[in-house]
Amino acid sequence: MITQSSPLATYDPTAFWDEMFSAPGVVRPHYAALARRLETLSADEVTRRQRAADLSFQARGITFAVNQDPSGLEKIMPFDLIPRIILPDEWKRIERGLEQRVRALNLFLHDIYHDEKILGSGLIPPELILGARGYRREVRSVEPPLGVYTHVVGSDLVRDHRGDFYVLEDNLRVPSGVSYVVENRRVLKRVWPQIFADYPIRPVEGYPQDLLSVLREVAPPIAETATVVLLTPGVHNSAFFEHAFLAKAMGIEMVQGSDLFVDDGTVYMRTTSGRRRVDVIYRRVDDDFLDPLAFRRDSFLGVPGLLATYRMGRIGLANAPGTGVADDKAIYAYVPTIIKYYLGEDEIIPNVKTYVAADPSERAFILEHIAELVVKSVNASGGYGMLIGPHAPKVDHEEYRRRIRADPRGYIAQPTIALSRHPSWSAGSLEGRHVDLRPYVLFGKEIRVTPGGLTRVALRAGSLVVNSSQGGGAKDTWVLG
Amino acid sequence: MLARVADDLYWMARYVERGIAVSRLIEVTRHLELDVGVEDSDFWGPLVGAVDLSAEDVSFFLLSDRLNPDSLVSCVRHARELARGIRESITSEMWEELNTLQQSLALPGKQRQAQGDSVSFQRQIRQRLQYFQGLVGSTLAHDEPWNFLNLGTYLERADGVVRLLRRQAHLLAPRDDEEPSDADMVRWLAVLRSCGSAEAYARFYSLRVEPARIVEFLLLNPVFPQSVRFALGAAEDALGAVAELRSAASNDPGPAGRTLGRVRADVEHVAIDEVFEVGLEEFLSGVQGSIARVSDEIVATYLRDEPQPSRLVGVARAAQLMAAQQQQQ
Repeated sequence: MITQSSPLATYDPTAFWDEMFSAPGVVRPHYAALARRLETLSADEVTRRQRAADLSFQARGITFAVNQDPSGLEKIMPFDLIPRIILPDEWKRIERGLEQRVRALNLFLHDIYHDEKILGSGLIPPELILGARGYRREVRSVEPPLGVYTHVVGSDLVRDHRGDFYVLEDNLRVPSGVSYVVENRRVLKRVWPQIFADYPIRPVEGYPQDLLSVLREVAPPIAETATVVLLTPGVHNSAFFEHAFLAKAMGIEMVQGSDLFVDDGTVYMRTTSGRRRVDVIYRRVDDDFLDPLAFRRDSFLGVPGLLATYRMGRIGLANAPGTGVADDKAIYAYVPTIIKYYLGEDEIIPNVKTYVAADPSERAFILEHIAELVVKSVNASGGYGMLIGPHAPKVDHEEYRRRIRADPRGYIAQPTIALSRHPSWSAGSLEGRHVDLRPYVLFGKEIRVTPGGLTRVALRAGSLVVNSSQGGGAKDTWVLG
Repeated sequence: MLARVADDLYWMARYVERGIAVSRLIEVTRHLELDVGVEDSDFWGPLVGAVDLSAEDVSFFLLSDRLNPDSLVSCVRHARELARGIRESITSEMWEELNTLQQSLALPGKQRQAQGDSVSFQRQIRQRLQYFQGLVGSTLAHDEPWNFLNLGTYLERADGVVRLLRRQAHLLAPRDDEEPSDADMVRWLAVLRSCGSAEAYARFYSLRVEPARIVEFLLLNPVFPQSVRFALGAAEDALGAVAELRSAASNDPGPAGRTLGRVRADVEHVAIDEVFEVGLEEFLSGVQGSIARVSDEIVATYLRDEPQPSRLVGVARAAQLMAAQQQQQ
């Protein structure tokens, strides 16, 4: 079915799971129409569209600032033209799996801040929970609206060499990237509209409106018509574009800490016509920086007195403070246990096998097999603070052994997963690149999973790190209807 | 709307308008130099209030010196930085225009052009800034943010024209010989062109170009949008719309409203001979001082939300004064 001259003819899917090819020259059925489109295009034409997409991102300022770059440079997230396609049945399972997971994690959070039943169950070492950096004693016995803690979740899914999905980690604090889901779709439609004709693709543009509904649902009961704002750390934050994008799409104010103040148990924003009450804050600021009176005293990003107002139930915060304990990478290892404990069900999407260094026998295993494992710091994100054993030199192995011995609670290890690959456009030809998938889950009165999510792609050949801060790019992701 | 956002909108509009004015000034001075010749007089020094500077130095300072906060490239950069911080409050068209303009200035080709062909370089930038102003009118709802943008644009314009008249007064000064020469004409036209007003002037007077009429036109014309009177009137309309929101119940226009109303009335109700009776420089510096005060008062009242003295203070003071005057009678 593939002609010899086409760029698809020479593509080598190798031993990894390839999303598009089941064998060299054999395209999976749901990719067949896309393959036909690709065959009609010359390499020059694809490159031209690629350039048009890059220019569009640049002109619209769809950029991120790299966290550790002091010059505050703005970069575009590299965009790969070839979309990823997910079948309806595959998606249904992902949806159910994520819903189950998010429901269980919220029951877990409610429990550890109220009845503490799981602490006495012997299933998870209590010190692992109470000693987690994300655990906030300040919100104990505070009842969040609807009992929901994580209104926005982005969980990272990966596929192994057999094509099975696993959850690699959960992001329950301030997950970012959803703006790229919407923008990638918009840009791909603009530069390559023809390929949309062949598929019934579920739209993603409704996300901001769905988010706004959820935010309104967590308003304190005293508010008749809720005033919702988005709290950003400011233009130097790596996700500033996304904050502006969401605020604009929802038609709400984007505020900085200095725009808000607390007076007599009420949060106000400073407007041109005086103070105005705020009922719900979609905060894109970490717990640590939220309120200098409650958490880090040197924070200029937050609002003094905000946490006290939250404890009184007079302001809605999304996500609620204290969710970090549940996406701690050591707690992650226990998520299947958590699902079983609260829902009495087996997990629909399995975890990746995880060794917790806080456990003496698992620690011994990690230290011995460090060259085969991926070691991660339990609190780091964005691809920082991790060791990929098979690719790292011996000195790094030694360094991480030292770190693990010094701070066992701070590390976990996982086997290296052979992430699935997807054809990507690279310098004039199709090349296999490793991908993951971050779907977004909204939780208010009910749980809603946005169809698709962000497919991140490690654009460097052979690289397994998909984070945008580490040279990763993104693809449009289609869930077929 | 948020006070911080209003503040940034106001300054963004001022930087855009300032960039346009700087750009015109550079272009006009280049032409002046070509027409009259450099030996004859120093056209560049007075633009920055200095002597003994080369044309290249001054034009670099005004055009592309990143250390000069009011240079054309700095104006674009400031406006774009402000726009980025409030991109959720302006239209995508507005944001993309400033963003792509700033990006185009960073291209190596553009930087060469700035040195080689500075006239077309600054002209392109000016056209895009003017296009941006058009987008403000056509893509943004004409409500509060739009009023703050207009406030910034028109106050900056009034200030710019007044400033320019002060700096260029030397070009209008009468010379010893009675009959104006061609060279005089060129200088005078340059003043009009610096405000983008030569065509409108010709249409309005259809008479010889004369210094006093130029001043009258730039200062007092009621319908031409580059005149000081027009700009102050438009600024007052914008401020009035904003003040309405804030103090709908009170009949007090606030400190900024009072100062702006007074200076607008001063300019509206003066004849050109009265201006020269006072002395052009003195009149202009008075207007410029008032504009600066208006801006400070706007910032204090609307943008920083500083506590305002209660209206009761004013009423109490009025009662005291009234009582004292009655005793005197």
